Amino acid sequence: MVSPAVALIGVFIFVPMVLTIWLSFHQWSTQTGFEAARFVGLRNYEDILGPISVGRDFKRAFLNTAIYTALSVVAILPLSVIFGLLVYQSRVAGGQFLRTILFSTYMVPMIAVALVWSKLYSPSEGPLNQILFWVGIGPQSWLSSPDTALYSIVILNVWQQVGYFTVLAIAGLTQIPSSLHEAARIDGANPVQEFFGVTLPLLRRTLLFSAVIAVINAVQVFEPVALITQGGPANSTNVLTFHIRRVGIERAQGGLGSAMAVMLMLSLIVVIVLIFSLARQKEERA
Amino acid sequence: MNAMTKIRMAAFAATVLTPFAAAAQDVELTYLTHWAPDTVKLLEEAASAYSEQNPGVAISVRAVPFGDLLTTIRSGGSGDGPTIASIYDLWLPELVRDGLVAPAPDAVSGEVTSEWPEGIAAAAAVDGQVYGIPNEINVYALNYNKAMFEEAGISAPPKTWAELQDAAAKLSTDGKQGFGLINSWAAGVVHPFASLLASNGGALIADGKPQLDSQKALETFELYETMIKEGYTDPAMGTSDANTTGPFLDNFVSGNTGMIIMANWWESALRAGMGDDFANIGTAPIPVGPSGDTARSISYSWMTVVNAGAEDAEQAAAWDFLQWLDGPDSGENGASAMAGILQSMGILPSRTSDVAAFEEALGRPFLEGYVSSLENARAFPVVLGGQEFSDALQQVIEQLEYGQISAQEAQQNAQADAESILERAQR
Repeated sequence: MVSPAVALIGVFIFVPMVLTIWLSFHQWSTQTGFEAARFVGLRNYEDILGPISVGRDFKRAFLNTAIYTALSVVAILPLSVIFGLLVYQSRVAGGQFLRTILFSTYMVPMIAVALVWSKLYSPSEGPLNQILFWVGIGPQSWLSSPDTALYSIVILNVWQQVGYFTVLAIAGLTQIPSSLHEAARIDGANPVQEFFGVTLPLLRRTLLFSAVIAVINAVQVFEPVALITQGGPANSTNVLTFHIRRVGIERAQGGLGSAMAVMLMLSLIVVIVLIFSLARQKEERA
Repeated sequence: MNAMTKIRMAAFAATVLTPFAAAAQDVELTYLTHWAPDTVKLLEEAASAYSEQNPGVAISVRAVPFGDLLTTIRSGGSGDGPTIASIYDLWLPELVRDGLVAPAPDAVSGEVTSEWPEGIAAAAAVDGQVYGIPNEINVYALNYNKAMFEEAGISAPPKTWAELQDAAAKLSTDGKQGFGLINSWAAGVVHPFASLLASNGGALIADGKPQLDSQKALETFELYETMIKEGYTDPAMGTSDANTTGPFLDNFVSGNTGMIIMANWWESALRAGMGDDFANIGTAPIPVGPSGDTARSISYSWMTVVNAGAEDAEQAAAWDFLQWLDGPDSGENGASAMAGILQSMGILPSRTSDVAAFEEALGRPFLEGYVSSLENARAFPVVLGGQEFSDALQQVIEQLEYGQISAQEAQQNAQADAESILERAQR
């Protein structure tokens, strides 16, 4: 007999996933019942991987999501460790205050963040360009240019998320026995050797968890794009979740949207499996 | 049966029957729009006036940004969604195909056919069946800053593309752009392009087939390419946000953009942003291209539709309210209340009696140029797959604006995309 927990997981997780995969092989308007879905084989996949606008937009959104995710993770993880080390040091004046400030960015609603950052990034009257002007750097186009818009959204994401990952890093740091640090110091290790020889290896599990969560969070980016850029300019900030919403809901092309969602799901699984295998390899080597 | 039992039965009957009695009398309607708070307030006042005359009908107004309007209509497509929604005519064929909007009753259908110009009434119908009551019509024209023109020594707005480029060159100084292009908003990108194409004698779609492979379309793409290469336009100054405002508006309002092609509806935004300087803004016909014979433009309309998933009583009340709102008895001097609301934003009403009632107001300097452009305006093509076609063309034009592709590549991609999208929409 199937336990209630398994049944619940089946209903709320596996059924939608299987349904999405099934729909990806059909032409289906999201405004009609599932019985109206018409089997089209691999045509949706051919379309989203093809050279016409449907394919071009999907591939661009996929690439944008990959760049956004990679940059976010590469920036957030080291910063969270640095900030974690800073505020974990009990001797640092204002450590508690810094911890509160860092975490508060995570609690600010995205709509407020979007409003403030869209003004900060304003090319003509934005404070960021004024600050750059004071230090002798010319004005940047930020969200107004396809060359910089995606990076601007990454900066916004790092600013908002780094506090949360700093808290995770601090939690990891508290798990490291102080006797190991003391032993390293007695053995003559300097702070850098202590960090790479003791702190970082023992933070590995925390960082693995942080990396997985950071990847999942980044892949699901939606609000800053929907609220600030609408995917523009020139598709430069069009990410997969926003694009799937546009195709699946706005245009009601449920089959195409499902095929895109399946590709996103498969890619995410591959990335997460890769992260775990890399971590396992390192652990085995250690 | 003792007294206590009778009381219990009476209480039971009251509990069970009251909701039905209430439902027969009271109807709650929701009206979804993308209008700004000031305009929503005017709509709420009109709705209150209707509810006073019809005490059983309560109407609440819900506003979302333009960028979220279609998604909100689609995701609320069941009976729980808004009863009435304001829609762009391009969306109608697909909303009808998906069964989201209710056909208009005969009385409404007859009124739309007889009281609105033929072309506008046709945009509110699919296969001859009317689905909405048209309200606004928008047309594109060239807006220019007279003060900047005077400073640059330009005596009159450009009548041809050659004059347009010449004026743009003279205006592009000190970080200012002579000619503004909009990006990150499909209609803001595609409609000005379509207006220039129309003024060059071309069209986006004719008889259901894309026409972007024509020489006239190529010339239009090349005009964009020249404007960018010569530095007459700066794409970074043309970004739009989800509310169809942002840098493109700010730059025109603050005198950093000399000319821009926009629709009449942004009059209220210009007035709000410019104050007394609004008097500096002139309106002129779209300049004529090398293959064009006369100044042309494109137009599009909006309408209100009723949710097909709403209860019968709600649908009936919704149509009655809309007929009143768009009818000659709800406003002043024979105009509809809707026309008064639209005029507060500088939007042209479309009902024949509204146009007559606002004849004097429509003659004010800013709107006069738009009203005169209507005569030679072509309706933006309303076809199945129209929104996707518009989105795809937007992306191609933006790639051209940012120098990612050439005019020839833009033309090839735009035509190939359009053929694929329109073919897929028919499957």
